[in-house]
Amino acid sequence: MNTMTLYVEKDSPVHHLDPLVKLLYVVAAIALTYILPEPLFIAGVLFVTLLLLLVGKVFRNSLPILTLSLFLIFSLVIVQGFFHPDNVTELFSLGPLVFYEEGLYVALILVLRVLVMIGSFSVLILTTSPDEMVERLIKKGMSPRIGHVILSVLQLIPQMRATTSKITDAQRSRGMETEGSMLTRIKAFFPLMGPVVLNSLNETKERSIALEMRGFGSSMKKTFLNEEKQYPYNKLLGGIIIAIVILGIVWRVMA
Amino acid sequence: MNTFELKDVAFSYSLDIQIFDGLDLTFDSRTTAIVGQNGAGKTTLVKLMKGLLKPSKGTLLIDGDSIDKQTAAQLSRRVGLVFQNPNDQIFKTNVLEEVMFGPLNIGMSRNEAEKAAREALRKVDLESKAEDNPYDLSLSERKLIALSSILAMDTEMIIFDEPTMGQDFAGKEKIKAIIEELHTEGKLVLCILHDMDFAAEVFERTVVMNQGEIILDGPTRDVFSKKEVLEKAYLEQPYVTQIAHALGYDESFIHESELINFLNKND
Amino acid sequence: MSIIEVEQLKYRYPDLTDLVLDDLSFSVEKGECLGIVGENTAGKSTLCYALAGLIPHFYKGAYGGKVTVNGLVVREHEIADIVENIGLVFENPFSQMTGAKKTVYEEVAFGLENLGLDRKEMHRRIEQYLKLLDVFAVKDKNPFDLSGGQMQRVAIASVLAMEPDVLILDEPTSQLDPQGSSEVFEVIEQLTEKGMTIILVEHKMEQIAQYADRVLLLHQGRQVALDTPEKIFSRVDLKDFGVTPPVVTNIAKALNVRYPDSELYPVTIEEFKRLEEAK
Ligand SMILES: Nc1ncnc2c1ncn2[C@@H]1O[C@H](COP(=O)(O)OP(=O)(O)OP(=O)(O)O)[C@@H](O)[C@H]1O
Ligand SMILES: Nc1ncnc2c1ncn2[C@@H]1O[C@H](COP(=O)(O)OP(=O)(O)OP(=O)(O)O)[C@@H](O)[C@H]1O
Ligand SMILES: [Mg+2]
Ligand SMILES: [Mg+2]
Repeated sequence: MNTMTLYVEKDSPVHHLDPLVKLLYVVAAIALTYILPEPLFIAGVLFVTLLLLLVGKVFRNSLPILTLSLFLIFSLVIVQGFFHPDNVTELFSLGPLVFYEEGLYVALILVLRVLVMIGSFSVLILTTSPDEMVERLIKKGMSPRIGHVILSVLQLIPQMRATTSKITDAQRSRGMETEGSMLTRIKAFFPLMGPVVLNSLNETKERSIALEMRGFGSSMKKTFLNEEKQYPYNKLLGGIIIAIVILGIVWRVMA
Repeated sequence: MNTFELKDVAFSYSLDIQIFDGLDLTFDSRTTAIVGQNGAGKTTLVKLMKGLLKPSKGTLLIDGDSIDKQTAAQLSRRVGLVFQNPNDQIFKTNVLEEVMFGPLNIGMSRNEAEKAAREALRKVDLESKAEDNPYDLSLSERKLIALSSILAMDTEMIIFDEPTMGQDFAGKEKIKAIIEELHTEGKLVLCILHDMDFAAEVFERTVVMNQGEIILDGPTRDVFSKKEVLEKAYLEQPYVTQIAHALGYDESFIHESELINFLNKND
Repeated sequence: MSIIEVEQLKYRYPDLTDLVLDDLSFSVEKGECLGIVGENTAGKSTLCYALAGLIPHFYKGAYGGKVTVNGLVVREHEIADIVENIGLVFENPFSQMTGAKKTVYEEVAFGLENLGLDRKEMHRRIEQYLKLLDVFAVKDKNPFDLSGGQMQRVAIASVLAMEPDVLILDEPTSQLDPQGSSEVFEVIEQLTEKGMTIILVEHKMEQIAQYADRVLLLHQGRQVALDTPEKIFSRVDLKDFGVTPPVVTNIAKALNVRYPDSELYPVTIEEFKRLEEAK
């Protein structure tokens, strides 16, 4: 069963990192781009992020996401290049369009920042299974109910798909044509929607009863079947990340 | 329809486990029960026959003509299947609408469809629930609703996947009457069962399936006399047969009345 | 005090006009196996829900009377507290699957995690009960990709593994092959011997006759009788309530094989044989 998540199952050092460390990395990387808004510095953070994607064997998978964001980036460049209020120094012009150095500088920082955001989130999302992530958060004290809600939302699409195929089977085995030409399929789509929604609602109710009857709401301290994964360099890595952020802040204050 | 034939059929859900590998089986006008262990492949077999699953190898034929090219919807005019789990089959919020769905799809007018639906509901004794929401009914009632929604389509062949599941005595009697009526109308009837007594009582032919293979196939009485083979397939003999054995008789009784008559005479 | 006490229990589903449970009063002792029989729609499953707290906590509607299980008044406690003592195996195994786990093994673990069992104990129980129900071989499959009978086995295992004090089984073997079904009843017998209290809803009267200590006969939500299997199945008016006795009792009635000086007929093959030989 595939899920709505983008998680890529592979064996890499990044996959074996503690989800919380990766989460910390996302926060730190983004924070750093604000603490030290220098193009060269942000490019450094971006470089590390891309390196992590490479080591995590998910660089390829992150490309579509990065490409998607290109559109956003492109519009940033244009808008900032033209209209930034600090625009004074003319750089070049294309017909009536004039590009200014200040605008482009700001645009560059923005672009790099967006890339860092998307890149670091990719590191987290592409290399961490949602189950592992949620289980880790629950162990850290997040309520199991919230954890379950997060996972259910991620399961929404595959669950809908399962319900759809169940109802499609029920319908075609009673004479409704669902296979064949595009037109047939479109025609079959509408009588499907109502039942799918209704069925999914019913299913949700049924599942919540099943959960409760197996002690889901129990106030007892929960245990876990899966052994706590050992994250060897956890403290060290977390410490390094925090140290870098603090260094960044110090640098900023001093400079 | 005279025969439904499976020739050299192979199927698997996943690469590692083959459910069928070269299955040959023919159904004819004899009412037929399929029995077998959980997971033997009974449901998979009937889903293949219904076109809901496609075999990786082999052919399915009705009266000698291949049906491989037909969609499940086209096939549904000829072959009806009552699902094992009624929740997989029922999707409307009104019983009558549910039962009318099939008839409307195969070209009946609304009037005809309603008539067929009400008639089918009458056969399972649930006319009074026509306006109810199927989700508010008990499981055994939903099972009968699912059954009547196939009955209403009046197909040439009808397959039941564990119809007696959860039914009380009266429910089983209704199903028995329906099967006998379908048989007299000349329809092909095939039924998956875990209820050996019902199988022994109602069906002319019994097929025993074990891990995707047919290990016994013949007149019901003969099949149920083969205690060892049945046990190998995780089955048991009908209670009447067991009682007769316990009392020390070797004859194979499969009807309650047979044994009572026999014992009365012996007294 | 009895482990289950039901006092004047009445219940009606929302939007319905008739009572589905109508003035039920009975109690069940620890280690007892109580069979519940009755025709379709008699209210058997509804009674199970009321014992396990799904009524009135999930199913609203009109509720009257009092159900006490293991000292807890069901109406006054949350489901979470009740399920620590009571396990319910649903009539439809599909309803039992939580959908929260991707394999059969983890599905069984789900309840144990919530009970806070340590890991070693969890593995031990999961293995034990999956093997007991003969579904260890499918432990890595998705629970929704099982055959009907396999799913029913997993449903039973997942509740048994929680080892509740009171176990309610609503037609637990409706989709099992004959041997699987016999095995489940043997397990039930062993569990009652260990002190577990069992409520068993069944249409298979042979099994009720063999395994139930007492039988509650329900009809249209009302309690017709609560007695030993022999007394219940020997009733002349049994058919009026939509229930047929075991095959062997039918044969005994036809041949007039009875317990000496009584109106009672045997309900198991062994007893039938004994009485027949004594005749
Ligand atoms: N959707 C599925 N995906 C993967 N495997 C499946 C799926 N459905 C069934 N199976 C497997 O295929 C085998 C045959 O299943 P099938 O449902 O045909 O059994 P059955 O004979 O009907 O059993 P039962 O008596 O329990 O209903 C089983 O081992 C089952 O686990
Ligand atoms: N969720 C529901 N909402 C409304 N009515 C319901 C609901 N569930 C059951 N009923 C009704 O309550 C009555 C008793 O149903 P119940 O399921 O308890 O019967 P049962 O004795 O378990 O029958 P079976 O032998 O079919 O399992 C039936 O008339 C049924 O239609
Ligand atoms: Mg099946
Ligand atoms: Mg019920």
